[in-house]
Amino acid sequence: MSTVSRVARRVEEVPFLDRRDASLLFVLPGLFVFSAFMLFPVLYLVGISFTNAEPANLFAGEGALAVLTFGEATFVGLENYVSVLTDPTFWNSFGVTWLIVATSVTLKLILSVGIALVVTGDRVRGKRLMRSLIILPMGLPAIFTITVWRGIFSSAEFGLANQILRSLGMGTVSWLSERWMAFVAYNVTEAWLAYPFMVIITVSALQDVPEELHEAAMVDGAGYVSRFLHVTLPSIKRPVLFASILTAAASFQQFLIPYVFNEGGPARQNELVVVYGYREAFSFAEYGEGAAISIIAVAFIGAFMWLNVKRGKLADGVSDS
Amino acid sequence: MSLLSGVGRKLKEDARNAASAPVEVARGIRYTVGGVRRGEIPPSKPLKTVGATLGALLLVAGLMFPIYWILMAALSGSGGSIYSSGGLRLLPDDPSLRPFLWVVGDLVVPAYAVAVNVPLTDLAVVFETPEIVFLDVSDYGVEGASEFKRFFWNSLTVSIPTVAIAMCLIVPASYALSRRKFIFRRKILFTYVLLTQVGGGLGIALLIGLYAVYVQIGLNDSKLALAVYYAATAVPFNTWLLKTYMDGIPVSYEEAAVVDGAPPWRVVTEVIIPLSAAGLATVFIFTFLTGWTEFVVAQTLLSTENYTLPVGLFSLVSEYSIPWARFSAFALTFAAPIVLVYLFAQRYIEGGLSFSGMEG
Repeated sequence: MSTVSRVARRVEEVPFLDRRDASLLFVLPGLFVFSAFMLFPVLYLVGISFTNAEPANLFAGEGALAVLTFGEATFVGLENYVSVLTDPTFWNSFGVTWLIVATSVTLKLILSVGIALVVTGDRVRGKRLMRSLIILPMGLPAIFTITVWRGIFSSAEFGLANQILRSLGMGTVSWLSERWMAFVAYNVTEAWLAYPFMVIITVSALQDVPEELHEAAMVDGAGYVSRFLHVTLPSIKRPVLFASILTAAASFQQFLIPYVFNEGGPARQNELVVVYGYREAFSFAEYGEGAAISIIAVAFIGAFMWLNVKRGKLADGVSDS
Repeated sequence: MSLLSGVGRKLKEDARNAASAPVEVARGIRYTVGGVRRGEIPPSKPLKTVGATLGALLLVAGLMFPIYWILMAALSGSGGSIYSSGGLRLLPDDPSLRPFLWVVGDLVVPAYAVAVNVPLTDLAVVFETPEIVFLDVSDYGVEGASEFKRFFWNSLTVSIPTVAIAMCLIVPASYALSRRKFIFRRKILFTYVLLTQVGGGLGIALLIGLYAVYVQIGLNDSKLALAVYYAATAVPFNTWLLKTYMDGIPVSYEEAAVVDGAPPWRVVTEVIIPLSAAGLATVFIFTFLTGWTEFVVAQTLLSTENYTLPVGLFSLVSEYSIPWARFSAFALTFAAPIVLVYLFAQRYIEGGLSFSGMEG
């Protein structure tokens, strides 16, 4: 008797399980490793957020068992959450995060719908080549793109942005050490990073707009603007909206841009919420508070994920197969 | 090797299209010019086309400018400033490959002494391999080469175990999820779909917990532990991707194999695995790139000695006075192979890599 059928018989002896449920064994290793490295840290994070953990006491325990008792950190109840929620720095970070979601999504929407309209325009030649060129940023590693943009906005020996300003006869701007200039820099980089994805979705939505609708509108004497508002826009609204939710979620949890640019500076003013939690733990050794902030961030990220799956009808594939 | 021949066919097709494109354009222009001369086409029409195309080209050029800038900065020996007293300058004034030589550094296979003991005696035969010098950068006036090779080696020793572990976890799971029915199947699938969505910041938010656990067990600064972590994070998205790919393989092929008397494992090795080659290639690339491009976790967990390429790149840019040429050359050497692999996979591995698979 082969091993396979022996395993299958064993499985059958377990109550609730059927013979065919042996296939679960194929999935379990992946699920187990994933849980060990993602789910366990979540639980651990929740645990830390209720203690006064900092490197001195968290890593003080002896042996592997100390992991489960959080080293020598002590239980402090909801103290971390209270101190986080009453800290104006947190509310600043939370506000900036939502502000960047609002501004960068608006910027990305305008930019990518504009680009999409251009590269699908009737009068433009070489559209396919252009389309494959402009989605190039998608293939670049994020850390590459962001360090390059960090170089562009650098004040050291004139980054590109300052060089352009200079050659246009304007003064230089110290982009990364002024709060709102840094904020503008984040937005520009974020838009450049995300536009290929939005353009692809918008272009495919635009190509699905029936030609007859445009012709009918033209017969009725509608100009370009009113055709865009009344024919194109309603047809591409849904896919573009879905892309916006996705990219809003990406902006909400943006970490690399603020971290690489100036660690959420100047003076912690632009720390987006994920950066804030990270820095609180690793730069200021407040593991407990950092964990509490991260838990709050995770709750919002989780809500975004849920919204995406429900909105995008992505789970449809699960139920019908 | 249907995958390879398919790729070859498409490459040929593309080459032909690229070669014939100028001819087509010329023909189109000649036709339009002729039409305008004969008065069949109103002259405003081609003018509008030219104007719109020029505008679009300008937009594309503007969007691609950062990439152009980094290329130019890497090629100019003088530090790559587009600003000079004479206004904007769009070509490097002193093109040189020296920054790239600085990145690559010396390529030398050091001399080894191999000693072989002669059995039953005290004698030993010693072979000395000669030192092979492929490239000595000091010949070209480059001093103090970058640590690119060390970073590269570290990245490699992180990425290869990542791929190996991830493939072992992903392939059986996606086969089972695609072909078998079992308890909790739909729940697991739903969880995986949920986790494929915008998970980027999740890993960073959980990093505090992960770091605390790793430090206490003493696993931080271990490249293998990092590789296991990367493999774990790659599981949901890639399992879902491969499962979707395997769903596209007709069940009748397997039925035919079963009718021919193939045992279940042979159905898998002879039908499923060969037919999902493109999907497997995609998953391979994605899991490899997970380890190759990840920055935050690597930077937090690893010590300076074990830094991977992205962390090395970051350490260059964080200096106050950035050596532009060297920085750009380093960045390009890091990113160019990835872009090529990505574009190649995108274009030629049909069905394996779709745009919808990009928000991982």
